[in-house]
Amino acid sequence: MRGSSAPGGRGRTAAPGLAAGLAALLGGLALLLLGAAGAEALAKCLVCHGKPTLSKRLSSGRLLSLFVDEKQLKESVHAARVCTDCQSDITVIPHKGEIKRVSCVRCHFKGNPVGAPQKDIYVEYAKSVHGIAAAAGNTRAPVCQDCHGNHNIRAPRDAASQMNKAHIPETCGRCHLQVFGDYRESVHWQAFASGKKDSAVCTDCHGEHSIRSHASPESSTYVSRVPETCSKCHASVAVVGKYGIKTEQVATYGRSFHGIAIKYGEKTVANCASCHGVHDIRPSSDPRSAVYIENIPKTCGKCHTGANVNYAKGKIHVDPTQKEAGAVYWVSLFFKWLTISVMVGLTAHIGLDLFRRLRRRGAAQ
Amino acid sequence: MDEQRNDGRGASRGEADPQGALRHELEAEIRQAVEAELREVLDQELRERVVARVKAELFEEIQARIARIKAELEAELLARAAPGPPPALEFERFSWNFRAQHWLLMASCLILIITGLPLKFHEARLSELFFDLVGGVQVSTLIHRIGAVGLMAVGAYHLFYLVAFREGRQNFAKLLPVGKDVRDFFQMLRYFLGKTDEKPRFGRFSYVEKFDYWAVYWGMVIMIGSGLILWFLETSLRYLPKFAADIAREAHSDEGLLATLAIIIWHFYNVHLNPEHFPMNRTFLTGRLSEEEMRRHHPLEYEEILAARAAHAPIPEGPPAPAPGSPPANPSLPSPGQPSS
Repeated sequence: MRGSSAPGGRGRTAAPGLAAGLAALLGGLALLLLGAAGAEALAKCLVCHGKPTLSKRLSSGRLLSLFVDEKQLKESVHAARVCTDCQSDITVIPHKGEIKRVSCVRCHFKGNPVGAPQKDIYVEYAKSVHGIAAAAGNTRAPVCQDCHGNHNIRAPRDAASQMNKAHIPETCGRCHLQVFGDYRESVHWQAFASGKKDSAVCTDCHGEHSIRSHASPESSTYVSRVPETCSKCHASVAVVGKYGIKTEQVATYGRSFHGIAIKYGEKTVANCASCHGVHDIRPSSDPRSAVYIENIPKTCGKCHTGANVNYAKGKIHVDPTQKEAGAVYWVSLFFKWLTISVMVGLTAHIGLDLFRRLRRRGAAQ
Repeated sequence: MDEQRNDGRGASRGEADPQGALRHELEAEIRQAVEAELREVLDQELRERVVARVKAELFEEIQARIARIKAELEAELLARAAPGPPPALEFERFSWNFRAQHWLLMASCLILIITGLPLKFHEARLSELFFDLVGGVQVSTLIHRIGAVGLMAVGAYHLFYLVAFREGRQNFAKLLPVGKDVRDFFQMLRYFLGKTDEKPRFGRFSYVEKFDYWAVYWGMVIMIGSGLILWFLETSLRYLPKFAADIAREAHSDEGLLATLAIIIWHFYNVHLNPEHFPMNRTFLTGRLSEEEMRRHHPLEYEEILAARAAHAPIPEGPPAPAPGSPPANPSLPSPGQPSS
């Protein structure tokens, strides 16, 4: 998940199947043939669109810049494209009629012959909360360009891409302002900013094209699926272990009544986020953290009426098999040996009884 | 059949003195018949032997018929006198009061085990099936708490029983561990290992039964105590630190498993799987022990009871019932009013 945030680079696309290979070949050929013509076409467009001041007043009153930075376009993944490849409804200058929004699906589908990635990402997007809202006519819902950019689209692994992991919070934050503010304070962003590139950004928890509302049972942030989502990193020694973060927390939660209840479908039981917070998760050492020791009564009190300081006396993620569990460990150890010794004793008594019966039967015959 | 029965009856009626006359008559007839037929063929000695052989066979046959018909008539008479008491003495071991407590304890424990184990082994596939079946953790929890109420009720009632009923007080006194239990245990070990052929002689409660009884006390204290903390968690945490609730949970889970294992291995062996009782020792249903079982498993109590009866009833009501297997001495006296214990 981490690392690849958006439909990937172009180099990877030709791999699967003959059809894809052929398509790439055709695409390449087309690019070569159209190269010269393309440069000419672009120059034609830039006569007007090369002026930084070119803009248009929209019916909403907003000023839309119509400037195209040639340098930006040339550095993007679409360097070899010409304007009308995307703006396909423009046929004459000056343009006539209403100019429609660019549809990326013209090229970005599985089996395309022009060398775009061989993926049907739009299918996932269509089912996402963004896609559904956009299809329902919400003009503020994001379409491809809102996240990926337009003339400046770069591969996500490119540090300058707005889909690069480092830029994802900003990109999402353009709309999700409040969440962005919370997130910037969180341990996840602090860790990421300090160079721990495994740390989670928006897409690591919410997904990418398939982002759903947290109220949807299919969402990775749905109440029952939060533990699973957090455990992708927090149960993995390879991910969080190397930063000295304990991976047992997932298992101890799973053994707790909270964890068992959530596994079997209870909706009103605490998951990771109920205690640790959502976007503003902070380390337990931070006095502003919901799991800071002095805040525990308040945090538990969200569900447990009358929670007091007693809730903070004792480990929360307690593992009875570990010595650090204190008294719980000793009780567990006591019962372990009590059970072993009692059961050994009782089965030995049974065994001896049967042994004697067999011997007597043998003697009688 | 009819013919057989007729001459059988004739034979059995003519018990003592008519039998002698009959025998002589038969003998004479046999002799006559044999001599008439074999006079020319065989000499005197051989004829005597044939006569003797025929006589012997005939009497054997007659005896067998008499016995068979006797048994048939006896069975008929017994059936007519039904419902007569079983021939052997019986002893009451568990009163209805005690058995009712056992039923409630058994039902509660079964409910608690069935709804408790899936929580402990929540990762098992079987637990998933169970929670699907009952309709989720909440339902299972509710059932568990119904079981818990049953368990607490039987615990409380048992304490009341120990105080309020004479029977309870007497049983309790006999359930207290004494030095003899330790000696019995070691003698049992010696018996198991073949060092002696003498089993320890138990009173009303053997060391095994005392262990079972007191183990339930331990289990009840742990399970009810920790269970209440977990049931009323928010109230508990008003006074107890969180780690106390963790201890309660750990103890509840571990002791629950121990109790379950003890029941399905130890208790089931003692009551069901033990070759002596297989498939089931019915005493927990009927509350009764036969004289044989009494003599074998609780010889001291048996002797005590007999001594007490002898002391209380100066005129014993005839001989105690005969050992099972041999036919009763007199089949014509199946007195229905014979006391059973």
